[in-house]
Amino acid sequence: MKKLIALVLTVVLAAALVLSGCSLNGDGSSSGGSKVVDPDAEIEVVFYHTMGANLRSVLQKYIVEFNKIYPKITINEQSIGGYDDVRDQVITELQAGKQPAIAYCYPDHVATYLRSRKVIDLNEYINDSEVGLTEAQVKDFIAGYYEEGRQFGDTSKMYTLPFSKSTEVMYYNKTFFENNGLKVPDHWFASGANDDTSLEYVIKKIKEIEPTSIPLGYDSEANWFITMTEQLKTPYTQAVDKVEDRFLFNNQQNMDFCDKFRAWCVSGLMTTQSIYGGYTSGLFTNTSANDSGIVIHSYISIGSSAGATYQCPAKSDDGSYPFEVGIAQIPQADKSNQKVISQGPSVCMLKQKDQKVNDAAWTFIKFLLTSPEFQAEFSMTSGYVPVLRSTFEMDAYKEFMSGANTNKEGIAALSAKICMEQEQSYFTSPAFVGSSDARDQVGKLLVAYVSAAENASEAELKKLFTDAYDRCVTLNK
Amino acid sequence: MEDNKDIIQNNDVPERQPLDRKTVIKLNRDIGSKNQLKGWLYLAPALLLLIIFSFYPLINTFRMAFLNGYNGLAIVGGESFNLGVENFKTVIGYVDFKQCLKNTILLCVVTVPISTILALLIAVALNSIKPLQKVFQTVFFLPYVTNSIAIGMVFNAMFTRVGLGDLIQTQGIINNILGLFGIGPFNFVNVGSSWGANMFVVCTYIVWNAIPFKILVLLGGLQNVNKQYYEAAKIDGTSKVRTFFRITIPLVSPMLAYVIITSFIGGFKEYSSIVGIFGEGMGPGGNGQMNTIVGYVYNMLPKSNLGNASAASLILFAIILVVTAINGYVSKKKVHY
Amino acid sequence: MADLKNYNLKELNVRSASRSQRVSKIVGNVITYIFLAVMAVIVIFPFYWMIISSLKTMDEYRANVPTLWPQNIYFENFATAFSKANLKDLFLHTLLVGTISTVLSLVVTVLSAFAFARLQFKGKNVVFGLLMATMMVPGELYTITNYLTVSGRLPFVEEPIQALDFTNTFAVLIFPMLVSVFYIYLLRQTFMQIPNELYLAAKVDGTSDFKYLWKVMLPLSVSTIITITILKMMGAWNAYIWPRLVANDQAHQLITNGLRGASFTDEFGEVNYPAQMAAVTIVSIPLFLIFVFLRKYIMRGVSRSGIKG
Repeated sequence: MKKLIALVLTVVLAAALVLSGCSLNGDGSSSGGSKVVDPDAEIEVVFYHTMGANLRSVLQKYIVEFNKIYPKITINEQSIGGYDDVRDQVITELQAGKQPAIAYCYPDHVATYLRSRKVIDLNEYINDSEVGLTEAQVKDFIAGYYEEGRQFGDTSKMYTLPFSKSTEVMYYNKTFFENNGLKVPDHWFASGANDDTSLEYVIKKIKEIEPTSIPLGYDSEANWFITMTEQLKTPYTQAVDKVEDRFLFNNQQNMDFCDKFRAWCVSGLMTTQSIYGGYTSGLFTNTSANDSGIVIHSYISIGSSAGATYQCPAKSDDGSYPFEVGIAQIPQADKSNQKVISQGPSVCMLKQKDQKVNDAAWTFIKFLLTSPEFQAEFSMTSGYVPVLRSTFEMDAYKEFMSGANTNKEGIAALSAKICMEQEQSYFTSPAFVGSSDARDQVGKLLVAYVSAAENASEAELKKLFTDAYDRCVTLNK
Repeated sequence: MEDNKDIIQNNDVPERQPLDRKTVIKLNRDIGSKNQLKGWLYLAPALLLLIIFSFYPLINTFRMAFLNGYNGLAIVGGESFNLGVENFKTVIGYVDFKQCLKNTILLCVVTVPISTILALLIAVALNSIKPLQKVFQTVFFLPYVTNSIAIGMVFNAMFTRVGLGDLIQTQGIINNILGLFGIGPFNFVNVGSSWGANMFVVCTYIVWNAIPFKILVLLGGLQNVNKQYYEAAKIDGTSKVRTFFRITIPLVSPMLAYVIITSFIGGFKEYSSIVGIFGEGMGPGGNGQMNTIVGYVYNMLPKSNLGNASAASLILFAIILVVTAINGYVSKKKVHY
Repeated sequence: MADLKNYNLKELNVRSASRSQRVSKIVGNVITYIFLAVMAVIVIFPFYWMIISSLKTMDEYRANVPTLWPQNIYFENFATAFSKANLKDLFLHTLLVGTISTVLSLVVTVLSAFAFARLQFKGKNVVFGLLMATMMVPGELYTITNYLTVSGRLPFVEEPIQALDFTNTFAVLIFPMLVSVFYIYLLRQTFMQIPNELYLAAKVDGTSDFKYLWKVMLPLSVSTIITITILKMMGAWNAYIWPRLVANDQAHQLITNGLRGASFTDEFGEVNYPAQMAAVTIVSIPLFLIFVFLRKYIMRGVSRSGIKG
């Protein structure tokens, strides 16, 4: 025991010695001067992304094109894994000053990176007289997506550019809807007993027709909660300094919509991915019977527009499809305030030791993101939506869109089409350090709330809200 | 225990006169004085690397823990931090800290004895058979080349229940087997499942995961045991159970001590098994009811919140240190070298 | 005659005794085998799952009813796993890093374990305690500090030192992970199983420490040495986070990184588990073969051949 005490003392002493060595690091603010790339300089630009094999080959094709113009710039593109893997790698590398020049990002990630002061304000490049974007080029970006780059508190700074986008859409079993004379719902809650365009009416009706069904499956609980706050204009989060004031979701209005969903869940009208315990797209496309010989279905499935192919049933043995899939905008709470969540990767630029690398990185980003051809090809391969208006004018893309139909081959195009039609409704939530915790917690909160025991008291349900709030606050102290 | 000591001393060096006590003491003293430098020389390569890649990071952990609000990215951004214990206050102030602590300790206390006993039984059984020995050894090694993601997926598939209320789409093999006996179905890991049920599954997983390594180590230990002891026991007609407790356990006690101490250390750092079953939400529906201290540390890293992460690590460090000290004290009394 | 009678009686007694012994032995064996068989089935299940998952289509993997046997055996996953990876280089790098780190690690481990188990010197227990202490901190915190160290970012120095930047070298894949306290501790325990009497006797005979270690300790600990070899090899083979961080360029990439990197997130950023399982299966095969080859050494043990100092 004495030795252990000695050991601890040694370590503590040694630590104390190092404690004072907390070094400061100057903020290498960028110098002025021309941002034009020197055509003769050998430059390597590192680009981290999450693309799979197919998308990567699209990217590589355009790198070849880029190198025809800038043969001396090497684009070292690396697929790092998932979005969180990119974030973790970038954060670690930032600490050693070895960060990539370009990285795929989500707003939450950038909000974290900002503290290192290494994220480049893209306005420096966009507004540059020599290498900047022309007004036409800026206008070509779909405005809602473009503005997302300014959501980091200070709107004079632009930290990200959109790469490709997706949103949530409502998939429904078109065959079943037609056979039973159901209307495609466009709002959540029934205003009366015969409000047949409300989701509430439709799912109750489906349950009447087929009591062994779970009419509605919602993929992402967090998206659902956040989208509801946006549609209902109820408080969710805000980007302010004081930690306690950042998280606003603990309020009666939010509890009210949770109560309604809870009632649906209790009466078997709806489920979500966590509550169901499997992919809700699997529930939607299910054709196999369970142990009791019942085929449990959902008839409405709300999920990512980029995952459309998963929402289509596989061909039966005779080569036909078990049912056709329809796609529509997700239900709304208020027709005058239509909101759907904006998802999909953006890119940010991180400061390099050598200013030239930044300039080369910008040249590449500009080349890629202002190219309607690249956007078209990327979209057709992935199911994501292009971020440029001009892409939709291209013949190749129009042809792709005309192939839109209700089964596996054409569903990606159909989904892209539906997304495009609602570009005015895209929203994002404020991004700040801790915004990912809020997202995390409200998703879990919704699950816990709607699946709480049937006899749960009001106090117990309220506590779920305060617990979620407390977690957010104590995780961000 | 005393009997065995005699056996070792008499049987292991059959061709020599046992050294008398005085000679042993004198030899030990001589060796002690001569070996001062030699000991450090033998340790030098390991120490050099350890100082750079283990001791320094450990010290750095202390440093980061005692700088209020230390953040790796903020350092790059030019911020500086004050000395203090704020990080520890923050960690303890986290609403779920008690739950994390409770889970961490409980997982350890439950799984270490069970997995050790099972592994010991399997190792002894493996060591005692002749036919099929190779086949069984190979089988018990297989989990070693199995990816941990695969194990997590298996557990999910085994215990999960997919459906809503009474509408069950499918359920794992465990509920199916229980169903044959008219028990269940139980909600083991899905939304609404109890903390106790989750604990049961996680413990099963950890035991499962831990057994192969322990078998390997204990089997190695058993192989180093001189067969003469068993032969002697056989001739004396000692029962198998008695042989197990009086000969096998004392003789592999150094390996047992190793396995127990290291699995306590590993058990306190439990994290990946829970992620394997529940995902990063660390509980059914991501409610975090199975979260551990290391789980909290991992929560802090994506924000580069190294101050809090280090403080939590040090709290864990202190707990493990105490437990290891107790373990070491016990093994000094019981382990037979 | 009387003698013969006596003899027969004796033999009869012996026989009946041995029969009851034999019965109990058979019963014991049956129990042992049943126990082993049951445990084997339980233990092997994840391995089985890994193999069948690697043969499923993504649609089948996503199906709500998990299948115990793939509906259509889908070898395509293996093609996917192979397609983007330059396997020859990846294997070569991994073999190089794996072999060098295993050999060096064994040398370092044997020397330190010997010092801890047999040599007497001041401060031994404190150093051992410190070693144990390094095991008690979650590894992720080491990763971050070590990454800064090998990038040339030293304490007290404001800017990273370019000359001390070892990222993208083989050395950085080998040395930081070379010493494992787990293995030193394991081998120390094995060494301590060997009676100290042997060492003292060797001292009386004037055998040098090194010769004693080489001639007596190592042969007696061969099963532990093999165990450590396998574990270290496995470590090099399965390492993922550290190599990805410090040396992920074409010239140094290791097998797990090469296989896991690009191929397994699909267009929607979702992980293609079947293909990943296929990759893991490919990676597991060499390890499995190594084990089959070394297994007899683990089991051979040395005690049977007797201990002759």
